[in-house]
Amino acid sequence: MSMQLEQSPTTGDDVITNYTINFGPQHPAAHGVLRMVMELDGEIIERIDPHVGLLHRGTEKLIEHKTYLQALPYFDRLDYCSPLAMEHSYVLAVEKLLNLEVPLRAQYLRVLFSELTRICNHMLNMGSHVMDVGAMTPNLWLFEIREDCLNFFERASGARMHSAWYRPGGVHQDVPLKLLTDIADWLDTRLPRLFEDAMSLVVDNRIFKQRNVDIAIVSKEDALAWGFSGPMIRAAGVPWDLRKSQPYDVYDRMDFEVPVGTASDCYDRFMVRVEEVRQSARIMKQCLREIPEGPIASSDRKVVPPKRAEMKSSMESLIHHFKLYTEGFHVPAGEVYVATESPKGEFGVYLVSDGSNKPYRCKIRPTAFSHLQAMDFMSKGHMLPDATAILGAIDVVFGECDR
Amino acid sequence: MSTLVNSAGQPLARAAHPGPAGAVTAPDQSFFKDLNQEVSDKGFLVTSTEELFQWARTGSLWWMTFGLACCAVEMIHVNMPRYDMERFGAAPRASPRQSDVMIVAGTLCNKMAPALRKVYDQMSEPKYVISMGSCANGGGYYHYSYSVVRGCDRIVPVDIYVPGCPPTAEALLYGVMQLQRKIRRVGTVER
Amino acid sequence: MTVLHSAPRFASNEGVREALTGALGAKVVASKEDHGEIVLTVERAEIENALRSLRDDFGYQQLMEIAGVDYPSRAERFEVVYMLLSVTKNHRLLVKVCAAENTPVPTVTTLWPVAGWLEREVFDMYGVIFAGNNDLRRILTDYGFEGHPFRKDFPLTGYTELRYSEEDKRVVYEPVKLAQDLRSFDFMSPWEGADYVLPGDEKAAEKPATPPVEEKKVTETKADTGAGEKANEKAADKVAPAAPTGTVAGQGGGDPAPVTTDKAEPGAPEPTGDRPDRGATGGSAAKEGSGSAPEGS
Repeated sequence: MSMQLEQSPTTGDDVITNYTINFGPQHPAAHGVLRMVMELDGEIIERIDPHVGLLHRGTEKLIEHKTYLQALPYFDRLDYCSPLAMEHSYVLAVEKLLNLEVPLRAQYLRVLFSELTRICNHMLNMGSHVMDVGAMTPNLWLFEIREDCLNFFERASGARMHSAWYRPGGVHQDVPLKLLTDIADWLDTRLPRLFEDAMSLVVDNRIFKQRNVDIAIVSKEDALAWGFSGPMIRAAGVPWDLRKSQPYDVYDRMDFEVPVGTASDCYDRFMVRVEEVRQSARIMKQCLREIPEGPIASSDRKVVPPKRAEMKSSMESLIHHFKLYTEGFHVPAGEVYVATESPKGEFGVYLVSDGSNKPYRCKIRPTAFSHLQAMDFMSKGHMLPDATAILGAIDVVFGECDR
Repeated sequence: MSTLVNSAGQPLARAAHPGPAGAVTAPDQSFFKDLNQEVSDKGFLVTSTEELFQWARTGSLWWMTFGLACCAVEMIHVNMPRYDMERFGAAPRASPRQSDVMIVAGTLCNKMAPALRKVYDQMSEPKYVISMGSCANGGGYYHYSYSVVRGCDRIVPVDIYVPGCPPTAEALLYGVMQLQRKIRRVGTVER
Repeated sequence: MTVLHSAPRFASNEGVREALTGALGAKVVASKEDHGEIVLTVERAEIENALRSLRDDFGYQQLMEIAGVDYPSRAERFEVVYMLLSVTKNHRLLVKVCAAENTPVPTVTTLWPVAGWLEREVFDMYGVIFAGNNDLRRILTDYGFEGHPFRKDFPLTGYTELRYSEEDKRVVYEPVKLAQDLRSFDFMSPWEGADYVLPGDEKAAEKPATPPVEEKKVTETKADTGAGEKANEKAADKVAPAAPTGTVAGQGGGDPAPVTTDKAEPGAPEPTGDRPDRGATGGSAAKEGSGSAPEGS
């Protein structure tokens, strides 16, 4: 019997080929319905091909079939973490086409609630980001703040999430004084206590830093070329905030700072959001101090419906109401692109009107689209678990990304 | 033993006193006393397997996190400290293999539907589905869209429909309680 | 026009349009300034060069968005709109090109990597082809989707819908069958020159005009109306004697005395369903239904 050489290969001879894994579409860290096809070399990410569109609902097409007012609630449902910020772009776009003046109180109310929305959004994002990299407790506290925010929305509009409260020409209903004083109390007591407590657990935490510092560094040039906006571009060191540079409503009267990152990594993106929450609270306090009395919507009855009490005595009001809720208002022909600083970045609406009561075309510029596209180059060379940290720092919401 | 008393210190008869809104309904003390007695006397309990299974099923409804759209946010809220769904034994579970109930929270789009069915098929029996929100119930605001499934019951069988756009966290909590009720009544003629 | 709205205020448009059209020269086909937005329409073949010049020489560093618009009545039906943003000059600019289904637009992925997905989206939704984009896959629509949904001639409800088939054990595609069609209301006022025949007016449109009448009907004199003294007398009669218990508002007597006639009570009318194959509705059908119920349930 002769000696037999072992034919099976040993570890040293083995050629390890790259393998492809499928991440999502149902994954708790995917923040919704993202599917990513990842090519891995061991645990190192070689390439990511994000597949989006799993929540593509055809919003833009549906908007073309609705009147301007009926189309408004679709915007709540785009970025469902910050509904009022979405409405803000749309109502401003319609007002720009109409060249409609909005009373000062309505502008203050919009700024107040947009900032409340920003806090609300950042609570969800920071909570889930922290949870994605392994912490549980801060999320519980941050959601308590979110719950308070939703209560405020409910008291203003009647709905916890999808308010449909901003309307072309102003806001839908005035807020009771008690709500404003309650928000002021909340800003002084509950928000700082819960928020700073939660942040004290996270920002200096060794594990959190190990998972986020120096992950997905993007240079200023890349950030501009990839169409970044919002906290993503500010973390890259570009002090660009549409509230400051292209103020809308009464943001030009507001006194606030724009936080800017230095290292442009996931940790900086997180910290930019942390500071934004404090600045938002500052803006809200100023709004509450300065908010004037007065009407909450334009008195142009061809756009803004009359008060219900008015309709009981005035025939003209009744006709206006009937016309506005059946036919809607007509918007002069033209095209505008209006972008506002949503909590996630530049949220734009490109509105084309043909002079009828329905938008001819309403293109929505989502914030997450360009950020998610950069996912491939941001995570190249990083480890697989870093992908969740990067995704958390992007702050992606698919209602808006896929439309 | 705790008994409800009125302001004068007199014990309240439960049947005679319906109680004002917000009054505490005392648990059935005699039931627990009997149960306690039985265990301490004999060292075991006798019950039917049916009841035992139903108790186990309703008491640990681990739900599959299937957040699709807006409703997912309310679904997260119901788990957070304010509503705390884990009181009812309903805990989130990311793996379909280990979960009992799938909460379809949000618009189900054509591109997502095969994935939804795949996840449902991976769940182990007995499995339940809660359809949350107008979009999952029947398409809702997006009913006429070319890319939306008009109701998730076209893809998976649904046990409980929770209406709303989105349903509040309380509504979902109520939906889960209704599912528990439905499970308890399986195998009985009572509906 | 004075600016009344409170939409975002960026740097002044003054002189920008002239400077840009002058610098880009023949590349610009048309330009306009409307609603505070400067829109440049650029020659399709020159879009890449024009945008490069805008980026490098005029400081429009960011491409925020590419939008497609469909105008089916035009020869080149699609418009592709590039939204540019200058971070340094704090200014926004819209640049347009026109395209048809078979005329490719040069890609701008060479200038901005972000254009990759944005062009994919326009391709997916409108079918505009971008020459040079080497990853022109569908992006938002379903895997295996056919057609371009945002075109104006694509129906809102699409052509297919999904269902899980118990027989095949998989999700199957079927033609769309809606329980209720999408209702689209026409809010055009008929008094403001609707250029179509209103529903119900079809017959009126066929006849050109009502023929002239020989004798005009007037009610100038008593004889014209057909009424007379006899009618007046009859009108003065009470319909029924007033009941002692009270009156019904506006009708005089509240409880008219019953009048006996020799006519029979009118019976129930014949069943007039518009689906004769279903038989009569009502009592007999209900009985049939209850008879067959145990079989079905």
